[in-house]
Amino acid sequence: MIAIEAVSKTFETEKRRRLPALCDISLAVAAGEFVSILGPSGCGKSTLLYIVGGFVAPSAGAVTVNGQRVTGPSPDRGPVFQEFALFPWKTVLGNVMYGLQRQGVARQQALARARELIAMVHLAGYENLYPKELSGGMKQRVAIARTLAYRPSILLMDEPFGALDAHTRTRLQNDLLDIWERDRKTVLFVTHSVEEAVFLSDRVVTMTRAPGRLKQIIAIDLPRPRSRAALLLDRRFQDYVVGIERLMDSADSGAPA
Amino acid sequence: MTRPVSALAAVIAAAGLLAAWELAAWLAGIDGFPPASRALAQIPRILTDGEALLDIAASVQRMAVGFVLGVAAAVPIGLTMGRSRHVAAFFNPLLMMIYPVPKAALMPIIMLWLGVGDASKTLVIFLGVTLPVIYHSYQGSRAVEQKMLWSAAAMGMGGLSRLVRIVLPAALPEILVGCRTGLVLALITMVTSEMIARQAGLGNILFNALDMAQYDTVYAMIVIVGVLGFVLDAAFERLRARLVAWAAPSHAIIAGTT
Amino acid sequence: MRARSGIATVVLIGALPIALIVGVWHVLAATGMAPPSLLPAPSAVAARLVQQWSSPAYLEHAASTLLRLFAGFGIAVIAGIAIGVAVTASRWVGATVTPLVRVLAPVPKIALYPAFILTLGFGDASKIALVVADAVFPILLATAQGTAAVEPKLAWSAQAAGASRWRCLLTVVLPAALPSVLTGCRIGLVISCIVVFLAEMITSTDGLGHLLVRAARSFQTVDMFVPLITISLLGLLLNAGFNAVRRRLLAGFPETTE
Ligand SMILES: Nc1ncnc2c1ncn2[C@@H]1O[C@H](COP(=O)(O)OP(=O)(O)OP(=O)(O)O)[C@@H](O)[C@H]1O
Ligand SMILES: [Mg+2]
Repeated sequence: MIAIEAVSKTFETEKRRRLPALCDISLAVAAGEFVSILGPSGCGKSTLLYIVGGFVAPSAGAVTVNGQRVTGPSPDRGPVFQEFALFPWKTVLGNVMYGLQRQGVARQQALARARELIAMVHLAGYENLYPKELSGGMKQRVAIARTLAYRPSILLMDEPFGALDAHTRTRLQNDLLDIWERDRKTVLFVTHSVEEAVFLSDRVVTMTRAPGRLKQIIAIDLPRPRSRAALLLDRRFQDYVVGIERLMDSADSGAPA
Repeated sequence: MTRPVSALAAVIAAAGLLAAWELAAWLAGIDGFPPASRALAQIPRILTDGEALLDIAASVQRMAVGFVLGVAAAVPIGLTMGRSRHVAAFFNPLLMMIYPVPKAALMPIIMLWLGVGDASKTLVIFLGVTLPVIYHSYQGSRAVEQKMLWSAAAMGMGGLSRLVRIVLPAALPEILVGCRTGLVLALITMVTSEMIARQAGLGNILFNALDMAQYDTVYAMIVIVGVLGFVLDAAFERLRARLVAWAAPSHAIIAGTT
Repeated sequence: MRARSGIATVVLIGALPIALIVGVWHVLAATGMAPPSLLPAPSAVAARLVQQWSSPAYLEHAASTLLRLFAGFGIAVIAGIAIGVAVTASRWVGATVTPLVRVLAPVPKIALYPAFILTLGFGDASKIALVVADAVFPILLATAQGTAAVEPKLAWSAQAAGASRWRCLLTVVLPAALPSVLTGCRIGLVISCIVVFLAEMITSTDGLGHLLVRAARSFQTVDMFVPLITISLLGLLLNAGFNAVRRRLLAGFPETTE
């Protein structure tokens, strides 16, 4: 469903220096698949996600979604940014309503759907607070609800739980898996945490250091629905985590050309 | 603005403005709006007329004196305001009250006290310059990192020496932004006070020409004042950029006027 | 407790210089060191102030000043925001407007007043035009800088939700830049206050500025103070009103130092 074909990206800096960020990335993601991207800081993970979202144009190559070439953002690809990017002048409800209003949903229906989503991310009762009055984890849940509201079939999540404490992070991971089990959206998920990637994904994509190339793709053959407690004790889970951590530590010489 | 504007773009913009003026004047065809070419033709005459030139020089001199005195008075006030809450509390309400009063409007009263000579006009320019410079020095001084002052105190620096050796250089970029606004304000206050007092100077020449229906001269003077403003601002910006090359580039001035 | 006594101290300290000025002024007048023709007693000015503020004729003058002020400021706000947003939104507009602003912003707009008089007449139109010319630049610059600095991910979030380019500009980029836009507007408001008064001083048959000049011509010193104090208080009042609006509009934004 998502086909990333030979995508490269080179940034031009102010002083006309050329900065290669992504190098010849090809990746196909099936409908309903949960794929995580792992890689060292600055290897271009965010950039890749922005290109799939249509926010940034690739320097070479192309992305197609359901056979259609990506030329700009569209509501079937919903982003969730690491920085939340909530609208500070809108309340929780206003933020979640925004996409529904742009989709032309009637006000009453939009309100009902927004409230339902807010309840789903466990924020019922916080509808009328402004983002600045929320904790980091609450903000991230609003951001997820805001994106889910307009029912994208693809979620593009950039380290959505990166800035959260371990406890909140675990809860949100579970919530995300619940949502995913129910709707089977296609998810492209960037993270720094190997455990998180293995726990959530069908496949884990690892990248080399900058300029980022694909290193290795690992299929995670663990039963679903997954429970964190059970997996932590599961030998196969541990093997995946240790194996991928080793792979990430190893020199980038093993990268495919 | 967001991108630095090249000198070439500024020249093209100025030429475009003149061309638009020329065209609009031809289309309008009214006496009170001569084309750019006729107005510009007057400039050499004005600038070679000894008397007018002396008048303009006197204006600029008053402006320079008012500006220098204003900066000299405003910087220490602003810097101490930034480092002491009590000093800030002392000056803030007074400054708030003075802020919306047009300084040039004090001209009639000050002329009562000091006469129509240089003293009145210089005082008004001085008043016009001080406010933005105080404000920016205050902001700059307030933003100085407290830890920097603690380390200076630990090294044995006294209060005054901390203000001069640490706060002043640290706040310099912001002070210079204030000075840039102050410079434009000095010019504005100078022209305006001369328009109100009508004794001598650029503003006076401008309105005398208006009274005598010498429209070409009116517009020529407008161009001269405009160019003066642009050149002063550009020259100061160049100086500022050199003085504080280490600081982040400043944006075009937002604050400013009369 | 602590905070309250802190605020009380700040207010007291702030009242000090104002009380000091009025005190010295009173002593100067009461002891006859300054003759009333040069410096009327503060009590005389206060009495006249109260008398004038309840006189319909005076209020009519104040109303025409306010009318010009609001007309000019309103146009400047609309034009400044529209152009400022367009500068950020369109490469073309940005490339055209930026150098024009670079050339025009440091020009003392008051020098254009004779040109406005000649083309728009001596009435309200020329004064409003001057207010617009002066107030539009800070608003335009603040809007352009503010919108250019908006976090792109906010706009991306809107576009992904299905917002068109224009929709995104109006519903996300402009609101996100609101703190900066409002700072520009507040500077524009004070400038409007100042400029309208000056324009009325230079040529007018009504308005507060005209009252000052009329009083000066007939050496009515008391009457010279009244419009000046009125415009100062008017400025304070408008500023306070503006801050109330600002607080309401920026309810969701993190506190700023201003
Ligand atoms: N707008 C930009 N202009 C210039 N260079 C950029 C820009 N955005 C990203 N880069 C460069 O591209 C490279 C990849 O950046 P990117 O943000 O995609 O990395 P990342 O893998 O997401 O890193 P992290 O894990 O730290 O978030 C970096 O070297 C960065 O400096
Ligand atoms: Mg990233």
